[in-house]
Amino acid sequence: MTSSDEARSLLREFPVVDGHNDLPYALREQVRYDLDARDIATHQNAHLHTDIPRLREGGVGAQYWSVYVRSDLPGAVPATLEQIDCVRQLIARYPADLRSALTAADMEAARAEGRIASLMGAEGGHSIDNSLGTLRGLYELGVRYMTLTHNDNNDWADSATDKPNVGGLSAFGREVVREMNRLGMLVDLSHVAATTMRAALDTTTAPVIFSHSSSRAVCDHPRNIPDDVLERLPANGGMAMVTFVPKFVLQAAVDWTAAADDNMRANGFHHLDTTEEAMKVHRAFEETHPRPIATAATVADHLDHMREAAGIDHLGIGGDYDGTAFTPDGLNDVSGYPNLIAELLDRGWSRPDLAKLTWQNAVRVLSAAEDVARDLQATRAPSNATIESLDGVDGD
Amino acid sequence: MADLQDDIPTTTEVGEDDCLPDDPFPTESGTDVLERAHALLAAHPVADGYSGLPRALAPLPWYDLELGETAVDTDVPRLREGHVGALFWSLQVPEGERADRAVGATLEQLDLARTVVERHPEGLRLVRTAGQVIDARHCGRVAVVLGPASVAALGDSLGILRVLHSLGLRVLSLAGASWAGEEGLTRFGEEVIREMNRLGVLADLTGAPEVTLARVLALSKTPVLCTRSAAAAVRPHPANLSDELLARLGGQKGLCMVPLIAEQTGSTARDVADHLDHVRTVAGPECVALSGTYDSGAGHPRDLADTSRYPHLIAELLRRGWSDTELSLLTWGNVQRALRSADFTARAAQRRREPSPPRPADADV
Repeated sequence: MTSSDEARSLLREFPVVDGHNDLPYALREQVRYDLDARDIATHQNAHLHTDIPRLREGGVGAQYWSVYVRSDLPGAVPATLEQIDCVRQLIARYPADLRSALTAADMEAARAEGRIASLMGAEGGHSIDNSLGTLRGLYELGVRYMTLTHNDNNDWADSATDKPNVGGLSAFGREVVREMNRLGMLVDLSHVAATTMRAALDTTTAPVIFSHSSSRAVCDHPRNIPDDVLERLPANGGMAMVTFVPKFVLQAAVDWTAAADDNMRANGFHHLDTTEEAMKVHRAFEETHPRPIATAATVADHLDHMREAAGIDHLGIGGDYDGTAFTPDGLNDVSGYPNLIAELLDRGWSRPDLAKLTWQNAVRVLSAAEDVARDLQATRAPSNATIESLDGVDGD
Repeated sequence: MADLQDDIPTTTEVGEDDCLPDDPFPTESGTDVLERAHALLAAHPVADGYSGLPRALAPLPWYDLELGETAVDTDVPRLREGHVGALFWSLQVPEGERADRAVGATLEQLDLARTVVERHPEGLRLVRTAGQVIDARHCGRVAVVLGPASVAALGDSLGILRVLHSLGLRVLSLAGASWAGEEGLTRFGEEVIREMNRLGVLADLTGAPEVTLARVLALSKTPVLCTRSAAAAVRPHPANLSDELLARLGGQKGLCMVPLIAEQTGSTARDVADHLDHVRTVAGPECVALSGTYDSGAGHPRDLADTSRYPHLIAELLRRGWSDTELSLLTWGNVQRALRSADFTARAAQRRREPSPPRPADADV
């Protein structure tokens, strides 16, 4: 049996739980949620990384759909609710392939039925607008993890890609973590500053996740996880879900992106500008400076190191499909996971190890968070704390 | 009935009423009528169309509705004394709340409502459907129905409407909607009504422009509510309904839920009864219901100061010759019919209609 066949056979039994997919945001941006215009029951290769045929081909058994909304615009709460509605519409439209999952038991039931367990994760604390009542509302609506920040700081947590502000988590930020523990919503530490990662690990009593982050020791980028944090995962019980985004995982791509961004700014554009004129400048740069290409082996390098630092019980996968423009060769879209598994088989990863990586760790972590929540709810009432009362600042 | 009589506490209010000097029917003593009112209400309790309780509780550092809570007009002992069987909880956000905060503020209200109900499992039960109202009653719980919420809670998105409905929202106030102004409904506004019908969210038209009320009456497949409207012919007030609108409401079998707000109805139970008489006559006995409006900041008729006082209002209507059937419709039956009709309409519509996109591209918002 080739390693590719063996990878597919393994994924049939232990499919991939992917920690982060931005399909809902892509549907918002591309077609204003007109789901007829992007019927994911058919191939959507021209527009999306994600559709049901490719999820099936990729051996995906559970997906945390990101209900991400922008952090630089007002109205994050309403926009998040629309994203939640979008995920529900998808689940309702494709009942043969998708199944709503709110618990670890639901994930196992979906696997037994051969459907893709569909969970939701909110990407950024801005989605609760400094309100624990709103946080509880999101939980009630099915959101099972919240990334504490996106690319910008919020009032109570520092982002990896912003200037230090509260130095990790503020008092209210720690209360957010405690309330998430009480609810059974996973604390996601992707995107946050290393100081925030450590503060959250100091505060949480439930396992944390990194829904889409790789290793900083392998590739020095602030979106990746430092070793001292990875080394705390065994004691915490949580997991790091390796991401594929080339500009985070491949040092050459990190450098290239920095140079491309400098070039944009030198030409008078914001580095994330995607207008026609800006893209023209970008393409000209790309012609003279070929973009470095990551591969499944690049991601496997991260996993090899993360396994050393955190242990096999604390790893997972978070592709960030439809949330990033470029993807590695061989991991071009959601059909690519078997290539990563084959690469790991070639590197000597055993079947039981791979089962933990793809399926078992993620189910265990959600289940453990449920147990912690059950215990906490016996002793802790819903928190009425406000950011004003704990941090002594105006919410704005 | 003797039991109930024994249970009436000797508060000053009751004492005052007991010696009302101007009983218009001296042949039947006030106590006998009150006894009949209690008996009627025991069989057909009050479905109270509007309570501001969650927001009144929010600022309180501690409260206990089970044992009685003097800081508010509503608690379990007084709900029992007043024979309240169902309560609509307003989730309306304060006026002047930033538009982009209204959705989050409504989520907070929903969370607060859930928390309050969870803290009083012996007295209160959160319900979504007419059937669950009955179940709650059979279990001796006061059914709590969520709504009305402010239209701002929608953020002009049908996706958000669906999400709020999934959290239990059953009534949405249309007053102040940008798509339901003096020109009537925009095309998006019509889609909102159709999606509300598909979900089973009742429209509350108190405070909405007349032209909106008329258009929604024509469009909605299920009866609408006016959760805080009395009769303008009896007492002019912007929120009260003209006879013409009352008649049209009656034609659609919608509900005029007369509020116990002194400003709208007058300062005594008799004034309220005048409105109920008038609405019954113009809209019909199937189209009149009650909204306590307790804990909403409104001033109440002085003899209807809290949720325990419904028997006194019913006694007044008995004196005016309301039949038992009419009273059972007023207190309970009409609201149950409106909820059940919305449930049926939703079930039928869901078989026929797909959910609308959050903001239909070709509709004007």
